[in-house]
Amino acid sequence: MSNVFKALADPTRRRVLQLLQKGPMGAGDLADHFDVSKPTMSAHFSVLVAADLIEADKQGRAIIYRLKMSVLEEALLGFTQAFGLQLTSNRTATSAAKAKAKKS
Amino acid sequence: MTNANESQRSPFSIAHALIVAALLIGGSLTLVLLTPDVISRDLARRLLGVMLGAFVVYYANTVPKVLPPLVRGNAAAEQSMRRFTAWSIALGGLGYMAAWAFAPLEDANLIAVTCLGGALIVVGARGFQFRSRRHHP
Repeated sequence: MSNVFKALADPTRRRVLQLLQKGPMGAGDLADHFDVSKPTMSAHFSVLVAADLIEADKQGRAIIYRLKMSVLEEALLGFTQAFGLQLTSNRTATSAAKAKAKKS
Repeated sequence: MTNANESQRSPFSIAHALIVAALLIGGSLTLVLLTPDVISRDLARRLLGVMLGAFVVYYANTVPKVLPPLVRGNAAAEQSMRRFTAWSIALGGLGYMAAWAFAPLEDANLIAVTCLGGALIVVGARGFQFRSRRHHP
């Protein structure tokens, strides 16, 4: 359970979980939403896999991540977002938007 | 080996189901033995209802985590269906528990069954919609 709390403590990882709530996504597609390097994203994915909140499915050369959260874990994610940490998450989204603008 | 260990730990494994069944029977027997000397018949009924609701919540909680994803089909829609099912039944189970814990005893059964039954009907309707969309996209 401490792995779950550790995974949910980081705003980037919470945002990854929120994105995966819409459906499975490739590692590259997920990384495009954040202004961080690929190795950093990979480390975030590893933490989430270690906490058993997501699972990786290798399809050819691509890695597809899918959500693997229980109801309680989703509720914890919701609480973490609700209690004042939403701002940090918004900041992550803003920086991702800036990153996309830089790329294009 | 890892897969074998994981399947043994899964709440949907036979070993796990037998443990849960033993706990349910053991809990019910304990309540029967304690009634009416230690606890009243009414309290025993309430405790049994709360226990059954707790097991429903426990199983619903783990549905999206332990069931393997379907190989074919729309993965996003399937995940959405799973999450909806788990949340609905977990909330229905919580309602079942709350009804047995707090509602007047004469109404508790009706309220509890309405909560859980309502959740199951909603899940069934969504499942029917999900299936028909898969066959007629």
